[in-house]
Amino acid sequence: MTDPSEKTVVTSCPHDCGGRCLLKAHVKDGVITKIETDDGDDVQLRACARGRAYRQRVYSPDRLKYPMKRVGARGEGKFERISWDEALETVSAELVRVKETHAPESILYIAYSGNTGTFLHNQLSGFRFLTMFGGFTPIWGSASFWGNLFSTEITFGTVTAGHTGDDIPNAKYIIMWGWNPAETVQKTNTSFYLSQAKEKGVKIISIDPRFTDSAAAFADQWIPIRPGTDTAMIMAMAYTMITENLLDRKFLDKHTVGFDKFEAYVLGKEDGRPKTPDWAESITGVKKALIQDLARQYATVKPAKILTLGAPGRTAFGEQFHRALSTLSAMTGNIGIHGGDPAAFGLPPVGLQPAAGTGLIARQMTGNLPEGARQRPALHITKLWDAILKGKAGGYPADIKMAYITNGNPVNQFMNSNKAAQALKKLETIVVHEQFMTPTARYADILLPVNTQLERNDIIRPWQGESYCIYLNRVIDSLYESKSDLDIFTALAEKLGLSGYSDFSEDEWLRDFWEAARDLTDTKPLPDYDTFKKEGIFRAKRTRPVIAFEKQIHDPEKNPFPTPSGKIEIYSEKLKERNTPDLPPIPMYIEAWEGKNDPAAKKYPLQLITTHSKRRIHSNMDNNPWLNSLEPHVVWIHPQDAKTRGLENNDEVLVYNDRGKISIKTRVTERIMPGVVSIGQGAWYRPDKNGVDRGGCANVLLKDRHSPAGAFCSNTCLVEIEKM
Amino acid sequence: MTQFGFYFDQSRCTGCYACVIACRDWHDIQDTTIELRKVIPLEQGKYPDIHLSYVSLSCCHCEKPACLAACPVKAISKRDSDGIVVVDHETCLGKDRCKQFCQQACPYNAPQFGSAENAKMQLCTLCADRLAEDKNPVCVAACPMRALDVGPMDALKEKHGDIREAPGFTCSKTTGPSIIFKPRY
Repeated sequence: MTDPSEKTVVTSCPHDCGGRCLLKAHVKDGVITKIETDDGDDVQLRACARGRAYRQRVYSPDRLKYPMKRVGARGEGKFERISWDEALETVSAELVRVKETHAPESILYIAYSGNTGTFLHNQLSGFRFLTMFGGFTPIWGSASFWGNLFSTEITFGTVTAGHTGDDIPNAKYIIMWGWNPAETVQKTNTSFYLSQAKEKGVKIISIDPRFTDSAAAFADQWIPIRPGTDTAMIMAMAYTMITENLLDRKFLDKHTVGFDKFEAYVLGKEDGRPKTPDWAESITGVKKALIQDLARQYATVKPAKILTLGAPGRTAFGEQFHRALSTLSAMTGNIGIHGGDPAAFGLPPVGLQPAAGTGLIARQMTGNLPEGARQRPALHITKLWDAILKGKAGGYPADIKMAYITNGNPVNQFMNSNKAAQALKKLETIVVHEQFMTPTARYADILLPVNTQLERNDIIRPWQGESYCIYLNRVIDSLYESKSDLDIFTALAEKLGLSGYSDFSEDEWLRDFWEAARDLTDTKPLPDYDTFKKEGIFRAKRTRPVIAFEKQIHDPEKNPFPTPSGKIEIYSEKLKERNTPDLPPIPMYIEAWEGKNDPAAKKYPLQLITTHSKRRIHSNMDNNPWLNSLEPHVVWIHPQDAKTRGLENNDEVLVYNDRGKISIKTRVTERIMPGVVSIGQGAWYRPDKNGVDRGGCANVLLKDRHSPAGAFCSNTCLVEIEKM
Repeated sequence: MTQFGFYFDQSRCTGCYACVIACRDWHDIQDTTIELRKVIPLEQGKYPDIHLSYVSLSCCHCEKPACLAACPVKAISKRDSDGIVVVDHETCLGKDRCKQFCQQACPYNAPQFGSAENAKMQLCTLCADRLAEDKNPVCVAACPMRALDVGPMDALKEKHGDIREAPGFTCSKTTGPSIIFKPRY
């Protein structure tokens, strides 16, 4: 029976999937007793297992409770309680010392996406603080989908190139290309819309090295493909469409530039090598007839969607995959129409936009400093450890002496965890804000406890863009001595006498954000701040799915694409001028390093892909008992590959290459392509005395190298496996 | 007597476990060895022709519950009003003082004890507390795929048909589980 002394508070989850779901926390006497989800009008924003398990996160006995200083060796995890005053004194003194004895850019600020999508309590609070303090070295890149972002920007001139989820059932044909929303969520309700499409009789294809939960639930056909070779398959599809005249020449002439150059490449007029289905079969492992079939169906059933986000682009030349995929979409005229899709970054032109450039949000981002004073060369997220180890002598822009880490677990989540451990041992000072003793937190000198989103007010929106946003109402007071990042930086600013860092209350900040924001669906007026806060959710009114580029296709004269040519750029002059090796002006297939033909494959013959686990959000929740008990952390291996290594299901094995060794159990399964193994990323790095990671962290094995455009190549990796 | 039961659209289930966690949260079950609701995967076939399906399962509130018949102290009963199978914790002997006959008898391993000392049996209550307030059981309300439904069996049959088996689930002829499927073949 519902207890009348309980109240329910609307909130959400701030972790890094593209969705945002509604959570309704029941509170009694200041304690959360239960968590429900959306039970309002359709379409409800129902939360996944990870959101539902939040009570075991907030009330975990492992929460960091008070500030601590390290007393053991870095990485050992031995700490001693200190007061907030001592912690803030030490941190501010170290910041001043490093800035004065070295340089401002010797301070590396690593803030990532552990807590993301919120307006106020987020990575920008540290960005603003360190900017006002005098500068620092920032990071750039995305571990998720840099290849897609880069390609979408080049091809369409914007990354707002997606459709709202409710457009999925409007397609007549759907290709899920390396795309598994059943586990990654993508956007709240993406899987629900896919099931609606399936129930309408829409044909759905899954192209993936694994038979995923999405393939099982939605696909009529599964086409396994060798990792890193997707672009070759796209080229062969284009070859079939060109040679069988299955393409929309009118669309290409009117809306694109450079198709002639792409066509010449596909037909082999440049390099004497036509990109035929035969050619692609030998590279991808996909039968010629299957490739032709797929090309014919995609080209003739309209409207058709190819949906992807990041995975095939998280490869050695990942941006080429996305450039090529959008070219296919242009060849079939599936851009700017309902039921179609540009096969690009899936952010639709909807949702609440924080009004950058005006109001407090601009001050928050820039710290009120002139542009010249703010700009410092950034380090790519795959190069942080190398840059720390080698510094200016190694060609990097700064000699890093201090790392300030918030909103993330970079030791675990960026490539080459063993190198991370080595690099962090070299630094003079490390400060970490965290909720738990993560693998990264273990390296801190000063470790500051952060509260959860349930312990503060904020506004949040789905970063994959849907037409709603949620008010994160404070559900309970901050537990123990934890504070938000913003509160910590505010206290540090006071210590350092930085005036004007935050002379507003939490409520004043949020009120200002809300009043300066605008809603892209032009809902006018937005509800006033107090109404929004009370209701907890704002849903913009719209009558049909919102899609990208409708105006550009309907009336191109008046609505050019925001590219240099005003058209969809299959050929990019910008890339030509950039003149970067392996970043050609038209999409091309470039063979990956650490693929099956790499000489290293003799020693490490298995291709490793690193996937998303349904019981974690990256490395968040790996310590949540409810979620942890759902599925074991395993490496997937095909029975044939297991047999040649004498392995059985549930065997303890070593997965290794030159970069490291991890121990993990096997899952021998027909659901993965022979020659390929997969590990869910995000399990916590736990190296033993012999340097074997007992936690099974996939990033131990990955090479710390990015693609020419900056993609995180977490699906380009060779390994071998043996029994422990 | 009205018999309440479940409908499960297996064709929609992605195996996300939201139902399992929602159940643990609502009933405050911190012991992860207790599974009032579970999701059971079934993988069949050879690469690349694979079939994968999930069954989301709790106590099926059978017409003739084998657990009820097996209990040596008659701690298990069936409510007249809705056919929900309930256990009386005052009477239940607990797992250390009893050979857990109920669990052994159940074809679906629904009765749960967990790891606590002499723990009493627990099973899905069909969220009777929520039903009384006209709310769906928490698993049904949680499912992001809207694959679960609940109600009187007659109404469920009218709405969803009367298929009683699906890959990964065999209908016990002796106990008569109150669950209807839309299978994934």
